[in-house]
Amino acid sequence: MSDQFGTPIDQDTEAVVIIGSGAGGGTVAHELTQRGIPCVVLEAGAWLKPDDYENDEWAAFNQMAWLDNRTTSGGYRITRDFPNLPAWIVKVVGGSTTHWSGATPRFKEYEFKGRSHYGEIEGANLLDWPIELADLAPYYDKAEIAIGSTHRHGRPALPANNNYKVFAGGAEKIGYKFYATGPYGTNAEPYDGRPASVQDGFNFQGDKSTAKWSTAVREVPRAVESGRCDLRTQCQAVQVTHDAQGRANGVLYLDKDGNLHRQAAKVVCVAGNSIESPRLLLMSASSLHPDGLANSSGQVGRNYMRHTTGSVYARFDQPVRMYRGETMAGIIADEARLDTSRGFAGGYYLETLSLGVPFLAAFVDPGTWGREFTEVMDAYARTAGLWIVGEDLPQESNRITLNTGAKDQWGLPVPDVHFDDHPNDVAMREHGYGRADLLYEAVGANGTHHTPPYPATHNLGTLRMSARPEDGVIGAFGEAHDVPGLFVSDGSVMTTGAAANPTLTIVALAIRQAEHIADRLGKGDL
Amino acid sequence: MSDPASASTPEPAADLAPALVRLLRAAYPHPSFPDGPYERTARVILDQLDADLWHRLALERGLATLELRAAQSGSEIDEKLLREIEDAEFFRFIRGVTVTTLYNDPEVWELLGYEGSSFEHGGYLHRGFDDLDWLPDPRIEEYDGPEQLVEVADHDQPQQTQESQA
Ligand SMILES: Cc1cc2nc3c(=O)[nH]c(=O)nc-3n(C[C@H](O)[C@H](O)[C@H](O)COP(=O)(O)OP(=O)(O)OC[C@H]3O[C@@H](n4cnc5c(N)ncnc54)[C@H](O)[C@@H]3O)c2cc1C
Repeated sequence: MSDQFGTPIDQDTEAVVIIGSGAGGGTVAHELTQRGIPCVVLEAGAWLKPDDYENDEWAAFNQMAWLDNRTTSGGYRITRDFPNLPAWIVKVVGGSTTHWSGATPRFKEYEFKGRSHYGEIEGANLLDWPIELADLAPYYDKAEIAIGSTHRHGRPALPANNNYKVFAGGAEKIGYKFYATGPYGTNAEPYDGRPASVQDGFNFQGDKSTAKWSTAVREVPRAVESGRCDLRTQCQAVQVTHDAQGRANGVLYLDKDGNLHRQAAKVVCVAGNSIESPRLLLMSASSLHPDGLANSSGQVGRNYMRHTTGSVYARFDQPVRMYRGETMAGIIADEARLDTSRGFAGGYYLETLSLGVPFLAAFVDPGTWGREFTEVMDAYARTAGLWIVGEDLPQESNRITLNTGAKDQWGLPVPDVHFDDHPNDVAMREHGYGRADLLYEAVGANGTHHTPPYPATHNLGTLRMSARPEDGVIGAFGEAHDVPGLFVSDGSVMTTGAAANPTLTIVALAIRQAEHIADRLGKGDL
Repeated sequence: MSDPASASTPEPAADLAPALVRLLRAAYPHPSFPDGPYERTARVILDQLDADLWHRLALERGLATLELRAAQSGSEIDEKLLREIEDAEFFRFIRGVTVTTLYNDPEVWELLGYEGSSFEHGGYLHRGFDDLDWLPDPRIEEYDGPEQLVEVADHDQPQQTQESQA
């Protein structure tokens, strides 16, 4: 049997069943249990504690990443460099929030209205969200308070680390104004029972100090302690079932030994991140839903977004030591705006980024070798790094499908992740590389290296929200248009991806959704 | 051959190590590195051959013929020679292992100036996280001057007349 935490709930009791304990699932579990609503949380990964985390890039990756087989197709370079690793997602309690670094900008008003603002762009499947910034604003406040974002609600700024000094120095020189060390989801001073950052440089590896927010250190333990939560780890959902009326009524899942179980449900919240969530709905096809559960629109798995990203590593004569300190505590917002005179729709952020020697070698320019490569590595201690992260356009053909020709360790079809850059994405990335070069040259860089996108850390949009059932999978509170009682609670819900890192928005949407679910349960309406 | 054990391992893998180290040095040239890290990486590569007959065959053949080719052209194994065999299976395999092994070696971290894990020492908080002194200390707070970020440029405001507003 797999491990069980919290207060057991009978498998025949119709509970709220939450699939996944990351940013979305962990938040919903916390919010519902605080309101007295019993929840079963099924989590495919194990529960690692801060002592278990490894401050070693490969050891941590192998300990925590979702490494089950996946396949890739399409024109993106990942198909060549990392054909079975399209995404960097975590399989432990807390999901990818255990690896996240902590940048928490909000979406902007225009970003909820992509179709109205960007117009008809060939190849893009743009749509306005069914909600606006004003709907989400109060929940952004709650999410920032939960996460403890710096620069918000009285939380102080983190100090400048070495990588930030170069980044901000260059920003100032080229006339950027809107830069700071946050907002960032790691404590600059003790907050919420967790300590201040010791600048240990291992944000991506779980954070042993717990200064960094994750649902593994806040929402999940609080849910488990509430007396209302039954957390079952190493339990992977494989099907969501429905009754004769088409209402969600249960979840089939595998324990760690591969035994199949069924948990009865009155509400199901799917929060497995944007590859596993659509995979689960596709695997849940039934005679009432022959193309996959909740897929009358045909949009399940489509419009997969991974943000337009790229990194720039700049070499200097003098030491930088970018790896010391908070990885991403540096954000420039000057390019996060809509101005198509730059040659593309949507905006992007520049954020500090540092990799250790092991990961820089693997990711700086996969496949390269020889002196061109070792020169980059030899300059390691004199290198500064940043990340470009911007809005990529939803495209119908970028999608998650079931690859029935390849099986995972359980014998289930693996997800295939198909992706092509839109020309708008390419133009934005090139613009970002150019601005980063200028920024670093302004403070004396004697060379920069343009690193292509990594396996995606931001995976979005595959079960998108829409006002009309024919345009998307779920409505404004995340309930499936086709299946009452089935909610989606993770990054898959995003109608468009905006420029901002997604987690703050995932958490805000999840808080809002939980309030809605609690409300309807209270009225006997679910 | 009557002894099945010797039939499955025709040559001791250790014989390949010197040639492999020369190749690794040519493919990943770091003037400051001693032989140790390259030797350890070579060992990891050779250890994997026991588990994979195809890689063993390809690597043994590839290395032997590479030495031959270098000898014929009267040169060392160098980057130029390696570029000519860039797509050979054995060389791809070597690169795949090397990039995750050579740079995962604590001696290499030290040579490149990477200090790695710091939590057990109290992080970098009192160990130089902000010791860069060749640039001025920048602002860490958000901008609060007179300028506003223009979120949407004038020419990108949606047309009031757009039919979809209906
Ligand atoms: C290295 C890195 C750095 C990042 N930095 C930032 C940042 O600075 N700012 C930011 O906003 N975002 C950042 N992110 C992204 C952020 O972590 C994700 O956007 C966010 O965690 C996604 O939330 P989610 O709920 O969609 O999925 P996750 O948090 O990934 O949670 C999904 C959970 O569901 C589980 N699961 C999946 N399928 C099943 C199943 N069938 N049954 C049971 N359980 C299942 C998984 O094991 C996992 O625990 C980063 C990510 C990484 C990897």
